[in-house]
Amino acid sequence: MVSDSITNASIPSIPNSKDFAKKKRTNRSAKLKQCKLDARREQWLSQGAVKSKGCKDGLGDDRKERDRALENSRQREEDNNNDRSIHHESDSESPSNSPVNSLLSGGGTDSATNFGGSSGSSSSSGSSVCGSSTGGCCSGSITEEEEEDGCLDDWEAVADALAADDDNNNNKTEVEHDNPCYQSPSESQLSVQSDSLHDLTSEFGLDSVNSMPDSARVGYNMRAWRPDDAFRPQTLPNLAKQRSFPASDRRFVPGGVPWTCNNVLTVPSSCPICCEELDFTDSNFLPCLCGFRLCLFCHKRILEEDGRCPGCRKPYKRDEIESEASVQGGSLTFRLARSCSMIARS
Amino acid sequence: MQASRARLFKEYKEVQREKSADPDIQLVCDDSNIFKWTALIKGPSETPFEGGVFQLAFAVPEQYPLQPPQVRFLTKIFHPNVHFKTGEICLDILKNAWSPAWTLQSVCRAIIALMAHPEPDSPLNCDSGNLLRSGDTRGYQSMARMYTRLAAMPKKG
Repeated sequence: MVSDSITNASIPSIPNSKDFAKKKRTNRSAKLKQCKLDARREQWLSQGAVKSKGCKDGLGDDRKERDRALENSRQREEDNNNDRSIHHESDSESPSNSPVNSLLSGGGTDSATNFGGSSGSSSSSGSSVCGSSTGGCCSGSITEEEEEDGCLDDWEAVADALAADDDNNNNKTEVEHDNPCYQSPSESQLSVQSDSLHDLTSEFGLDSVNSMPDSARVGYNMRAWRPDDAFRPQTLPNLAKQRSFPASDRRFVPGGVPWTCNNVLTVPSSCPICCEELDFTDSNFLPCLCGFRLCLFCHKRILEEDGRCPGCRKPYKRDEIESEASVQGGSLTFRLARSCSMIARS
Repeated sequence: MQASRARLFKEYKEVQREKSADPDIQLVCDDSNIFKWTALIKGPSETPFEGGVFQLAFAVPEQYPLQPPQVRFLTKIFHPNVHFKTGEICLDILKNAWSPAWTLQSVCRAIIALMAHPEPDSPLNCDSGNLLRSGDTRGYQSMARMYTRLAAMPKKG
């Protein structure tokens, strides 16, 4: 039994179909088992075993039934995979942010490719993630906090527990790094979806996101390309187009794109003052020529006090702000273009 | 209130993540009160404060970041813009030039910059300011170095 699970854990490519069959059978009792497992995991984690070694030992100890061993060894193995990857990546990437691939949405094939670490197929696996469940998102956000607090030790337990809570229809896959869900420590599916929606809108500047087909939308949601992302498809519209600059204005910008990578002009995901998420209105709110963005709430509070832009310390012009906030038309874009060109030159 | 907490918590996480980013600054939050912080800063090189480690105490108001944090030196320092007895700091960004975009970390950096570039024309420590204003750089430096050695350097033996 013990050796069984160990060998299984060390083989990186267990046929997925077999797994799925096993998984379905164990779904009913998986929640209960996971509780017990968590307790055990806590035990051996607290015994201070070396992480990677401890994983397999713990697995061996845990097993009582054959299928359970299989299921968990697979999870464990994937965790190990993630574990391995985190040592190469930076801290901000949570190891257990594995997007949870659902059988229901037919993400099985994707899981195989993603598992190998190919990041090209991310959008397809992403779509199945959001369509089916929030398991990946939740585990991502929670473990991120854990990690930042420095308790790396039991992220595995947390991730497993969350994945198990998730109706157990899920299959873990490789981590996607630019998943917007990590950045939003939100617990519920609703907020996760809306957060990533904001990401999308701020990225693409689209009004009509809600009208897009579900699969396509969430597919992009999970990926949230950054302008400087290496894997960003060329076909994606960049910020320059989405801001709908008149073509005549763009000659101010020599390179065409470089300022889209400029920090001043990319819309931050959270207000730099109060650290709350920027919603759609906020991310379209540009109160100052210097490009410093903040949420409407903080802007109001600043107006009540000294009324100066936190970015450049120039006083906000009250009348202009109103028009800028409401008008999306020519004057706003022209103003933007001017400030952009100055930044690009300097 | 909530905004300041959220903001301070984010700064705390930022500090934890980038502990090694700025080796001259060590910013620690009080265990029980997120509105009380302590910082250890190294005296900038090629100044009389080189080699010293200076302790700063932050008291963050509830209106933070709209209001600046109150910062003072806990370590004695001979500097024209630092009160010799109370440790109060005369620095524009801690008074009227504060911007909510600043963080506790950036305040520390500003204070290090102030140590390297004193402003003798708005002195809190008149003795120090007068030395500099009368052109006695050598006198100022030796005084400052002496107090650095007395107060900001680990005692030997």
